[in-house]
Amino acid sequence: MKHSRFLILAAIVLLFALPAILSHSLVNAVNQMLIAALFACAFNLLCGQAGMLSFGHAAYFGIGAFATLHAMGIMGQESLLPTPLLPLAGACVGFLSGLAAGWFSTKRTGVYFSMITLALAELLHTMAPHLRSLFGGEAGLSGMRYPALGLTFGSDIHVYYLTLVWVLGAIGLQYYITLTPYGRLVLALRENSHRLSFLGYNVHHLGTLTFALSAMLTGIAGGLQAISIEASNYAIFDMHLSSEVVLNTYIGGVNVFLGPILGAAVMTFFGNAASDLTRNWLLYKGIIFVLVMMFMPTGIAGLVMMLTANLRKYSALLLWPVLLLSCIATFLLTMGTVFTVEMMQRILSQDYQMLAQMSDGGEWPPVQLFGRQWLPGSLISWGLPVVLFVAGGYFVKLAKNRWRVLQEASSDQSSETDSIHNLGEMTTESEHELNEREKA
Amino acid sequence: MEYFTISLLNGTVYGLLLFMVSAGLTLIFGMMGVLNFAHTSFYMLGAYFAYTLQKYISFWPSIILATVLAGGGGIVVERYFLRRVHRYGHAHELLLTFGLSYIIAELIKLFYGNYPTNYRVPESLHFSAFQIFGTDYPVYRLLMGGISLGMFLLVYLLLSRTRVGIVVRSAIYRPRMAEALGHNVPLVFMGVFGVGAALAGLAGAVAGAFYTTNPNMALELGVIVFVVVVVGGLGSLEGAMLASLIIGLSSSFAVGIDLSLVDLFAFFGAGEWAQGLGGLMELKVSSLSATIPFALMLIILLVRPSGLLGEKG
Amino acid sequence: MTAPILSMDAVHKSFGDAHIIRGVDIELLAGERRAVIGPNGAGKSTLFHLISGQLKPDKGQIILNDQEIQGLPPQRINHLGLARSFQITNIFPGLTVFENVRIAVSQRHGLQYSLWRLIDRIHNVSEQTDSIMEKVRLSANRDTLAGELSYSEQRALEIGMTLASDPRVILLDEPMAGMSHEETDYMVALIREVTQGRSLLIVEHDMDVVFSLSDRISVLVYGELIATGTPDEIRNDSRVQEAYLGEEVSA
Repeated sequence: MKHSRFLILAAIVLLFALPAILSHSLVNAVNQMLIAALFACAFNLLCGQAGMLSFGHAAYFGIGAFATLHAMGIMGQESLLPTPLLPLAGACVGFLSGLAAGWFSTKRTGVYFSMITLALAELLHTMAPHLRSLFGGEAGLSGMRYPALGLTFGSDIHVYYLTLVWVLGAIGLQYYITLTPYGRLVLALRENSHRLSFLGYNVHHLGTLTFALSAMLTGIAGGLQAISIEASNYAIFDMHLSSEVVLNTYIGGVNVFLGPILGAAVMTFFGNAASDLTRNWLLYKGIIFVLVMMFMPTGIAGLVMMLTANLRKYSALLLWPVLLLSCIATFLLTMGTVFTVEMMQRILSQDYQMLAQMSDGGEWPPVQLFGRQWLPGSLISWGLPVVLFVAGGYFVKLAKNRWRVLQEASSDQSSETDSIHNLGEMTTESEHELNEREKA
Repeated sequence: MEYFTISLLNGTVYGLLLFMVSAGLTLIFGMMGVLNFAHTSFYMLGAYFAYTLQKYISFWPSIILATVLAGGGGIVVERYFLRRVHRYGHAHELLLTFGLSYIIAELIKLFYGNYPTNYRVPESLHFSAFQIFGTDYPVYRLLMGGISLGMFLLVYLLLSRTRVGIVVRSAIYRPRMAEALGHNVPLVFMGVFGVGAALAGLAGAVAGAFYTTNPNMALELGVIVFVVVVVGGLGSLEGAMLASLIIGLSSSFAVGIDLSLVDLFAFFGAGEWAQGLGGLMELKVSSLSATIPFALMLIILLVRPSGLLGEKG
Repeated sequence: MTAPILSMDAVHKSFGDAHIIRGVDIELLAGERRAVIGPNGAGKSTLFHLISGQLKPDKGQIILNDQEIQGLPPQRINHLGLARSFQITNIFPGLTVFENVRIAVSQRHGLQYSLWRLIDRIHNVSEQTDSIMEKVRLSANRDTLAGELSYSEQRALEIGMTLASDPRVILLDEPMAGMSHEETDYMVALIREVTQGRSLLIVEHDMDVVFSLSDRISVLVYGELIATGTPDEIRNDSRVQEAYLGEEVSA
């Protein structure tokens, strides 16, 4: 506990110091990470803590963004709020729209809830381009940051600090809420809303409030986005954004407060880093998500927790062979996948297909990848990924065996790790039970 | 009159197409409780498979082969993905199919590029069925409607008249009971998942040539198909048919209606007042054609959450 | 012990064609312990669902504390002083025992919308939570996840949560189902102790429990109350013998 507090404090100090260390473009990237982190965190209040999976959170992000733009003053109009307070507009409008949407959608649970959120978001998405005065038609709206408090907000650094303060404040507020009586009830809502109503709580009001708070924090994230790019258009309501946040949140891990923040930050970072290197980042992201859902349902945060619990249980000396083997296996399999995907992408690209046709039945020209030339017809080009996959699979097996030996050796000891495993499984299992009950 | 007839025809055909895709989805949900986000991915796969195969074999065989391939894809998804996470619950399954749909769309972009293909109706089928109000009505539209109708009949008869159908229906309504009676429910699940995916694939193979075949077609159709199954009632085949037609017709008719709320108020003599309000008031019905299905779904979910013909609450 | 605190008047409930509750009249007196017995399918659970707000009656009145409650949502009925347990354990499996009880306790402090006070700082809530855990003997399991408790511990937790809102009327739906003899004895003592000064309506199949615990017994057969009386009266009632006890007690 003390360790994690220290780590968080260190991370915050580092975030404040970043502009002194990093280049402008990197500061911008961190700015995006912060916004994505807040978005995922706000989404997780509803999804992870209250157990209501929304497929339409882009709506509240977009609403927050447009509300902030309107407050900023469109096309030279006067600003309604001083620049540092602009996200308040996103928060207020987000809260109100969340209150309305939440009142409707939390009347139903499970899949029906998800479908209503999706329908509401699509409703907005299809109507937005026709509502010119609100969303500026197809072109969208743009605004301008005005100087305030002696700051110009003209530079990226100013914007970065504005984002940082708001994101930390909003996440801090959300964490504080989890420690209040209401925050505890939100968890109970996920666990068993039926029982909650027989304990005298109004489950519908509770759900609506949670939805509204989640939309409010999401609105702040949207507002910060609008401030940093000074524009927005109706595409912000697209399903893609709603999907992104689901992916980020689950990859990070929904059962831990910091999970989604971690997930969103990591995925946005890699997204930024990878966009220069590959066109297939979204494919990798999808693969990561599916792998997480299949083999690691507690996400990155769950993995970290399992690791720390195991480090406490076994000595590092015993554990490191397993870790090393797992890392090697992950590395080999990742390399195999990346190589295959990138190779395919280059061969299938239009330019290359044109070249190939010009070769006129002869051998296809080589492909440039990882600083080397690869012939599509040669055995090495396709043998390499196969070797990588086989070797990766072999190391997975080695790691598993090692792990089993380690567990058997200490099976008489208390099973701390198991309880952590169970934690993840149990919540999902109880969810399952609830769904069954609903169906009956 | 011309507008009415054409809209009626087009709307019906579009509705029948929607049904072809939603039939599998609604059966799968009814049976397994899984809302399969990847379902329209099979629609897209069907279209792309048929498009690819056409370069090598003729039109109809490639349609059939594409259908089979899409069905095979469905079986793989059920057997090797969904079944593994079944114990984590429905929300988890939903998320997994969501991830798979994401991957499939990205793979399609990888293989075919992020732009529409030139998948077209073959020349041999490119003629008009009849003339109506001086314009040609393409025979291919009728063909799509015919295939969909034929499929509805086939599935309906299969479910209501055969032994397999009885087992499947019992697995849909009482999976535990069917298992206790000694039926291999996992096999039935896999079968229905495969058939559902094949139907979606068939729809894609046929419709992809007429509408467009692009990497976004799964997502675009996906949300509409969700609307269909929710409006019709999750698990109800007849409901899916009814809802498909309602949504097909309403979107087809809405496109041509240039009225707005202002006109409605004008009818009561308050047109100028409404015009002054602007915003929502001035929206024309035609520009809302994409919105109507979602509004309909919201109303249904709030008024009659089990859907028009849904049996499960 | 004179005025009825809970009464049902000609209550009916059907599911489709099945007429499950066919005009039930019942009066539960303040401070009374009453058992409802009857063969399987008599409608005992449905009766509880009707009283607690899970189901709406088709016809008839249910009055709690001079107020009509039929058709009110469960949380309103709970506010009026009635709490219930469930036949199938109904707790928050992924939260700790302490958290389970604390959520139940918080309600009567009106903390549903409290977003600014830290719950750990609200001392009387913590104290009451501790005292309830002690009462149902779960103090040692304070930080265990409720889902990991043994079956009988979960039943005890269920009762603790039911008590937490300090209700005047308690409905217990088969609290002894699936318990061993020792556990049952402990549970009877516990129920007797915690319902002191409250009214209890209990559905139970264990006849020893029913006869030792209740002041009066009502017999429900096919949706109708065929008899109400003291344990001795019920034991000697010929219609009850015929309809119900005849099979189970003598067997």
